[in-house]
Amino acid sequence: MSQLNYRTINIDVLDPESSVNFPMVTLLPPNLPPPETSSDAANVANQVRQLLRSGDSEGALRHVLDTAPLGGDDRAKEVHMAAVIDVLQGIRQSEMTRVLEGVCSGEGGSERADCLMKYLYKGMSSPGPSSGAQSPHKSMSPQSTGGFSQIQARNLGEGGGGQQMSVLLSWHEKLVELTGTGSIVRVMTDRRTV
Amino acid sequence: MLLLDYQNVLIQSLLTERFSGAPPVSIDQVVSDFDGVTFHLSTPESKTKILISINVKCFPELVQYNAQQVLEREYGPYIVAPEPGYDFSVLIDLENLPAEQEARDELIMKLALMKRNAMAAPFEKAFDEFAKLAEEASRYTSESAPQGIKEGGEVMAIHYREEEAIYIKASFDRVTVIFSTVFREETDRIFGKVFLQEFVDARRRVLTLQNAPQVLFRNDPPLELEGVPGLQRSAEDKISYVTFVLFPRHLTPQRRYENISHIQIFRDYFHYHIKASKAYIHTRMRKRTADFLQVLNRARPENEERERKTASGRTFRVQG
Amino acid sequence: MSQSLRPYLQCVRASLTAALALSDFASQTSERHNVPEIEAQSSPELLLNPLTISRNENEKVLIEPSVNSVRLSIRIKQSDEIEHILVHKFTRFLTQRAESFFILRRKPVKGYDISFLVCNAHTEAMLKHKLVDFIIQFMEEVDKEISEMKLFLNARARFVAESFLTPFD
Repeated sequence: MSQLNYRTINIDVLDPESSVNFPMVTLLPPNLPPPETSSDAANVANQVRQLLRSGDSEGALRHVLDTAPLGGDDRAKEVHMAAVIDVLQGIRQSEMTRVLEGVCSGEGGSERADCLMKYLYKGMSSPGPSSGAQSPHKSMSPQSTGGFSQIQARNLGEGGGGQQMSVLLSWHEKLVELTGTGSIVRVMTDRRTV
Repeated sequence: MLLLDYQNVLIQSLLTERFSGAPPVSIDQVVSDFDGVTFHLSTPESKTKILISINVKCFPELVQYNAQQVLEREYGPYIVAPEPGYDFSVLIDLENLPAEQEARDELIMKLALMKRNAMAAPFEKAFDEFAKLAEEASRYTSESAPQGIKEGGEVMAIHYREEEAIYIKASFDRVTVIFSTVFREETDRIFGKVFLQEFVDARRRVLTLQNAPQVLFRNDPPLELEGVPGLQRSAEDKISYVTFVLFPRHLTPQRRYENISHIQIFRDYFHYHIKASKAYIHTRMRKRTADFLQVLNRARPENEERERKTASGRTFRVQG
Repeated sequence: MSQSLRPYLQCVRASLTAALALSDFASQTSERHNVPEIEAQSSPELLLNPLTISRNENEKVLIEPSVNSVRLSIRIKQSDEIEHILVHKFTRFLTQRAESFFILRRKPVKGYDISFLVCNAHTEAMLKHKLVDFIIQFMEEVDKEISEMKLFLNARARFVAESFLTPFD
């Protein structure tokens, strides 16, 4: 113990009254849904996929957003997130606006909109399934072209996960048109993460 | 200026002025050239006698490859004993110049090309060797050629810079010139790679360059240099080996002089353009940064700093 | 503008507009101090959920909001060694001039190429929508600039190579 340099200890961390140790749980509302497990999430995912197969894309989106595991563990959230992405990718570009208007209206519509916004940002922050952990330094050599020209158009090639991101970005655009930036602010401030 | 001059422009202009009949003055000037070569121009005895000395880092190596003979051929009557600290000296007597202007210009040019001529010796030797080998090889079919002819002559190494060297090797059907070049920093290395790739591709891409020498580059020593001592390998690709393959059409006596001059300046030309590109990109970035600043400054609301006056006409000044 | 670039920039614009709602906030830990909370990280209560906007793996924007400051980091596309070095040089050039850029952070957040730090002082002194415009324009131009520099370098290399080889013939 005598080796320890006391000057480098952040004593604020040891003080329960310090702002560093602010109890984050107090920011969560009391009416949080009960904790969900990953198997519950998987059940929901199955129901949703069935709805999607039967052609009821609006119902699928509505259901998947209503059952978001706000109180679940990480695993449950992950499974649920995959279901949401599936639904979003399963809906055609031309139908987006119609589906959105349906989902975000009626009782609890604005909650669903906020929830969708959370999923859009979460979807973009996690690497796409196709990309994996590819390092940007790989395949970085001008020699690799081998042909007559080293000049390539830069904006043609999409990096990994470009397809999924562009779907999420279109949804984001449509959703902002509908709800404005308020929904984004609620994503930042809401401590109930998805 | 795209291609570099072969001659030393400073020496050229200095001598042109001296030769033009201007009143003689005393000179004592050190002139530097590429690859750490230095010249010393001075008038040690009288104002009309100009001593020009050259110092080349690899002069002992060049002498091995007949540099002395080449220089004697070029500067025969003017040669004097080398000035201390220099490798080779000539003395020009201003009172004893050729009469015609043309001959004078030729002499000036010749003197300004002293570095080129000193460095040319190994090239000339290789070209001669090639001619000999080609002559011998023509007497055999390719299968029955004796080992010595197939393999060609020995590799001549000229360590003309601290860490860089030129290697020259003659064969019966070609002369291979290999430059080893070091990149001091990462940017140079990557820019160099882009440039070298274009050198390699140019011959395939452009029809009119079909007959140009073949260019290859790699980061480990090429096969031709196997067994040559003092080769450096570097893990981080800092060294590049650039190979020029000169074919018989480049080695004819008519083309010889020009091509030797031209290939000599490759390294300087190459690095010069890397630096020039960097400088250009730097100015571009500077300009773009200024543009960005302008955009950002648009975000600042107009400062409404109007002069406020009292009724009696006095002005306030806010104390900063 | 490329098809997928527009929604990307649109998304950054909307997110940034939402995030730039800052207020003055005195430090909770040291008296008479007022520091950007996103950098100080002195209390989890003051930090908001970070937002990531990505176009693909190599082009991302990370927005980290807090009560009195927002940190915005951009990863600029770099598909090969040349672009990598150009992006590196350019961002370095910019960050060395961070003083005159007010909102530029001197060091990018890990994993990104360039970061901005917008504090409440900035949003008070400058027009918010113009600040957002600046970021968007910056993202557009940086991409274009890198492409142009790369094209220039290739063109010059080609020209230089051909000019050197021509006299041999």
